[in-house]
Amino acid sequence: MIEVEHLKKEFRKVVKEPGLKGSVKSLFKPKYETVAAVDDISFHVPKGEILGFIGPNGAGKSTVIKMLTGILTPTSGSCTINGKDPAADRKRYVKEIGVVFGQRTQLWWDLPLRETYGVLKEVYSVPDEKYQKRMELLNEVLELDDFIGSPVRTLSLGQRMRADIAASLLHSPKVLFLDEPTIGLDVVVKNNIRNAIMEINRTEKTTVILTTHDISDIELLCSRIVMVDKGHKVYDGSLDALKSKYGIMRELVFQPEIAENFSEKDFIGGLKLGGEDLTVGHENGKWRVRFNSEKIPVKDMLSYTLSHIEAKDISMREADVEEIIRRLYKEGVGV
Amino acid sequence: MNKFFRLYMPFTRAGIQSTLMYSINIIFFSLSELLYCFVMYYVWLAVFDASDGQNFMGFDMQDMVLYLFMTNVTAYLTMSQADSAIAEEIKDGSIAMRLLKPVDYHISILFKDIANPIILFFMVFLPMTVCVEIYRGVTAGMIMFQPLNCLLYLLSGIIAYLVSFYLNMCFGFLAFYVTNLWGVSMFKKILLKFLSGAAIPLAFMPAALKNILAFLPFSSLSYTPVMIYMGKYTGAELLLNVGLQVFWLIALIVLCKLIWNRAIRRLCVQGG
Repeated sequence: MIEVEHLKKEFRKVVKEPGLKGSVKSLFKPKYETVAAVDDISFHVPKGEILGFIGPNGAGKSTVIKMLTGILTPTSGSCTINGKDPAADRKRYVKEIGVVFGQRTQLWWDLPLRETYGVLKEVYSVPDEKYQKRMELLNEVLELDDFIGSPVRTLSLGQRMRADIAASLLHSPKVLFLDEPTIGLDVVVKNNIRNAIMEINRTEKTTVILTTHDISDIELLCSRIVMVDKGHKVYDGSLDALKSKYGIMRELVFQPEIAENFSEKDFIGGLKLGGEDLTVGHENGKWRVRFNSEKIPVKDMLSYTLSHIEAKDISMREADVEEIIRRLYKEGVGV
Repeated sequence: MNKFFRLYMPFTRAGIQSTLMYSINIIFFSLSELLYCFVMYYVWLAVFDASDGQNFMGFDMQDMVLYLFMTNVTAYLTMSQADSAIAEEIKDGSIAMRLLKPVDYHISILFKDIANPIILFFMVFLPMTVCVEIYRGVTAGMIMFQPLNCLLYLLSGIIAYLVSFYLNMCFGFLAFYVTNLWGVSMFKKILLKFLSGAAIPLAFMPAALKNILAFLPFSSLSYTPVMIYMGKYTGAELLLNVGLQVFWLIALIVLCKLIWNRAIRRLCVQGG
């Protein structure tokens, strides 16, 4: 379905020296430097899979998505989707895909939302009857009815994102690209969007490529993840395998009732863990304990803490994707 | 052909709706253009009063009024915003969203841009022409309106718009190289006003300059259609000038495609 082979993209960047002098200098004699945003990435995605494409900011995720959607031309390497080369065959290729960039919109800014769908209907030549059915379905999953008559510029971020996802699904694409579709959204809207993605994937066997920083997106949606960092692929496999292999760091945050009664040394001493598996830090009277939940189960950690100290405001936090990738990268994983 | 229009008409429809959202904007912009016309009117009135004869290089005052208002209306109507549209899309990266649609980039921009002249035709051209013709009729004491000339003017005006559109497209692609186009754009606007004869009729310029400017694509923008409207171009001269417009239109379309094919390769969408 999707084949990516040795994909590489280089950008030429102007290097500016600091300060006013540097600005003036680069105005007359710009210096360039070539940066590889994506370097030798290969992967395959079978039909009907939801692939999580993750990595820290600036890792090259969006650049890969842009090459896969035909917006950018690769410097070298190739990607083939449904047997088509995105950049070379753009007009025919984009009929088969749907794309949402969380930070941009494809909706007509000044017009009521309904009009955008009208335009898209013609652009993708969706027949009337199919269009009606499709709108009904999208309405049901994404609840567009409340704001379909409002101009797009008046929509809230959550409404706009739902509208954008509906717009990308209007023509029943074979592949759906979602670049941070849940960025900045509240839990209710996130859930709404996740359900829509799952529903479409289940009923229509749509292949989905998703980039995100939200680990729950990945846990709920993705059967497989590809992780990139600094333009390279660092992991390719299932999330479960990743978790069991590398464990997951959790963070325990608490505030001792009486600060003077708390001794860091005693607390750590009782745990018999060290190094990468346990680190402690504190600020503003709050203590942050990062520990490996594979080595010491969350349940045990909690009961240990409660029995040791009198604390108020205990909270447990899961490590985010950045956390895992930082750990992975540090340990130098072979792909 | 039918399919082609079904595909691209929504862009025009949506463009008209978008533009009408800001109708106050159009009204004030039109008023400022009108004000400019009147300022120029009084300038030329002073020129004609100071000169000895009624006739100044083949134009009398009545011609001058007609020229002045018609040129500005025409320039206003054929003014394409393709350059700022492209520049804006390149600057904020929303060009990506257009590239993701199964449509031709140029044609989708063209059909959206057409919304502007369509609106201005009804809001500005019709009332303005009626006023100018009434003025002409009253000062001459008879009806001066020439339906045939007006028809030919509209035809030439449509070509003028397309020339203007493709010229602005080519210019807008500069944004691939200069990320912020605003300064260059201001310069272009003023230069065009002079080169196209919108500031001073080309007929008033020294012969050598006039011949060069008449050949360049800029005279196709408003000078040619207005000369046709005024009945100054007839027979072979008319054919020659419309032919020249068509020539420049084709040349610019080819140039535009060439630039596009080169520029798209070096596109880098910023951010996100």
